[in-house]
Amino acid sequence: MRDYFSYVESLFREGEKREPPLKGLKVVELTHFVFGPNVGRILAQFGAEVVKIETPGEGERYRLAAVFGRYYNRTNLVYGIQNANKYFIAADARNPKARQIIFELAKRADVFVENFRAGLADLMGVGYGQISKVNPRIIYVSCSGFGQFGPLSRSPSFDVAAQGVASLAVKTGWEDVDEFYKLPDYFGDYLPSMMVVFAVLNALYYREKTGKGQYIDVSQTESLLRFMYDISYYSLTGEEIGKTGNIDPCASPSGIFKTLDEKFVAIAIMTDEQFKALSSVVEGLKGENRLRKEKIRELNQILEEWVSKHKLDEIIELSKKLGFPASPVLGDVEVYRDPWRWERKSIVKLLDRLYGEIPVPGPFVAMSATPGEIKWLARPVGYHNRLVLKKWLGMSDEEIKKLEEEGVIGYWDEMPGCAPPPIWDAEKDPVFRGERDE
Amino acid sequence: MSRDETLMKLFAEDNKPFALEDIKVAEIAGENFAGAIAGSLLAEFGAKVIRVDFNDDPKKISPYGVEVNGCGIPLLVESRNKEFVKFNEKVKEQIMSCDIVIDGMKPGYLDSIGIGYRQISEKNPGVIYVAVSPYGHFTQKAREFANVPDSDLTAQAYNGYPSLIGNPYLTGKYSYPLRAGIWAAWAMAGVNAAIGAMLALIERKKSGKGQFVDVATHDALAVVHAFPTIVGFLFDKSRTRYGTLDYILYPFGYYKAKDGYIALATPTDPDFRALLKIIKRWDLEPDWRYSLDRISDDPVKIKTLDEELNKELQKYTVKELVAKARKKSRSKLIGRFLGAPVIVKLNRLQEVLKDQHWKIRNTFISFSPNGKEILVPNTAIKMSETPPRIVKILGKEVKKS
Repeated sequence: MRDYFSYVESLFREGEKREPPLKGLKVVELTHFVFGPNVGRILAQFGAEVVKIETPGEGERYRLAAVFGRYYNRTNLVYGIQNANKYFIAADARNPKARQIIFELAKRADVFVENFRAGLADLMGVGYGQISKVNPRIIYVSCSGFGQFGPLSRSPSFDVAAQGVASLAVKTGWEDVDEFYKLPDYFGDYLPSMMVVFAVLNALYYREKTGKGQYIDVSQTESLLRFMYDISYYSLTGEEIGKTGNIDPCASPSGIFKTLDEKFVAIAIMTDEQFKALSSVVEGLKGENRLRKEKIRELNQILEEWVSKHKLDEIIELSKKLGFPASPVLGDVEVYRDPWRWERKSIVKLLDRLYGEIPVPGPFVAMSATPGEIKWLARPVGYHNRLVLKKWLGMSDEEIKKLEEEGVIGYWDEMPGCAPPPIWDAEKDPVFRGERDE
Repeated sequence: MSRDETLMKLFAEDNKPFALEDIKVAEIAGENFAGAIAGSLLAEFGAKVIRVDFNDDPKKISPYGVEVNGCGIPLLVESRNKEFVKFNEKVKEQIMSCDIVIDGMKPGYLDSIGIGYRQISEKNPGVIYVAVSPYGHFTQKAREFANVPDSDLTAQAYNGYPSLIGNPYLTGKYSYPLRAGIWAAWAMAGVNAAIGAMLALIERKKSGKGQFVDVATHDALAVVHAFPTIVGFLFDKSRTRYGTLDYILYPFGYYKAKDGYIALATPTDPDFRALLKIIKRWDLEPDWRYSLDRISDDPVKIKTLDEELNKELQKYTVKELVAKARKKSRSKLIGRFLGAPVIVKLNRLQEVLKDQHWKIRNTFISFSPNGKEILVPNTAIKMSETPPRIVKILGKEVKKS
């Protein structure tokens, strides 16, 4: 029999490839920052045609939100990756004619995503009630901090606020330091947005059977609360777990320790079998009641001592040989340069028509027969106006020109994050001119 | 009817169908809770999920070892709508006929006992096989690390997460990388796996064929967040601990007030200016006017401002700060150009559980195995036609709290 790993590898490398799962799915999004936009990003990785509507000029505000203020070729890679594979049109929602265009697009969409403050989409004339009336097949998603109904529903939110309200923030930090830290990289946006994607796909699956669309309400805070096992712990014991530093209270010993060669290693022993494996090399580890609070600390001290006398590589080798969870603690650069991620295509090199060769994260999941794809980075504000209005609404060049003149639709301001690269030439870009697709 | 009433009626759960009621799932995840979370999501949507265990190890995993009827809290929470079975030859047949098989065991183990993708897909070509493991089921590294079991903490570490958590100004032990206080990597990997299963299920309707879906928990966060790739490419230098700061927006974090803590964000420059007005420190405006002034890859630079804000905010109570941030300008015209910081109170868990908002939304459900009430987080998703919901915990019926 063929070796297992080569067999699986062959499925991914040489196995049958089929059309993307979401080919033909039309998505319209009226979104900003991370929570809403990430939904379209993930759907677009697997073939959905996603049209993002922005305001002419600046576009959405996340266009300017570059890491440490650094742009690349006048684009913001944070925004660029967050909105890869999408089509960009800019129509000013304050203008009634523009609102009509947004409405017409929504009418033709399978999925509509918005992440404004609860109730605002209704006021703009593109709420669930309004769109589902003309398009009962619509799968309409509202993403918000606290949900669409209930006393907190109208409050504004951000990742950092949701983590705070969900009491996740008070769980992260050192026990004896009077501070709380957020989970980095907008966890309070990304996790909920993935919950939304899951919900949308379920709605789609159901629609295939029945033809019925539906309304989906996902909040950041509830998505975080979903994974707080502390809720059950508290209701059972009357105590809050609170901050535990580097200890996972479900694992013992567990923590992040400094090695002999001044590196960090994470170790978390989940089962008795793993404990046995570790104790075969770490002297003095005794396993009775190993999950008791004081016992975890005691075991951690012994482990800390042991780790300080061993090099990182030695510990990792032992974890492979004996079978206990251990991992180096990586930083950004190590993640970025990790050959495993490149081999797995978790990071890929994208050759973008406008911005050149840029490394980007690959599809969020590996699928053997229908691998996802990152095809292009976010485009300048209004870049696909002509293409989308022709293709989706059947407008003529003259009609589009008139809309431009009236200021109903528009293009970018000359700002980094919004505008094309300096050497770009409109005359030589058939996609911008609406003559061909990306 | 008010908007709230209309929506509550729309999202009511009564007698509605489940989206996945025709789907059968086998969850064979052992102590890998990312796999169990994937199974839970499918189960919330009505899929018939059998959880197959080889031993009782997963039940023993619990915060400080707390158990309910012999079951630890994580597995109790993730037991939603599932049927628990012990592995035996008869169960093998059942696994073979499932639509979705979740494999959270060590890579290659199920194959070695005859229920890997290779064997199942031969009999059942429509099977969707979702593998969840530290480094995936292919690549050289996956092979090399096949014997290393998964844990959330190690997965966080390999995703580059703990390196970013903490206070950049602290030294000694407090400068160590710090753990995110929930199973962040496992939660993300579990959701990713569930989405992969759904994508394959939707595609199967067209092709009639299943496929192999592979999730690596050690990459589940980084591949979604994208920041390590961007930073690695643009700067060639890793970010430091930015737990109290941020690398895109500042301020964007948690601050001490007179009587508690707040979460504070100023997404735009007008929002920042509004904050300065609230705390009566307009004198700081010239030096820190634009977001680019406040963002730096050097934490030392922003320290002065950070210290000033920390000092100033402590002069006010949480209530005062929250109220000041919400206060609307009397002039609508000017109001449009004035920002407002986002300020909310940092809750403790007890406060969350008391809040009417979550009660109205059924965010938690109650389960009484031995007469004692235990709260469990409900599904986080509301849907009008096919609301996901929890019917059973540990095989027993639950009621809404």
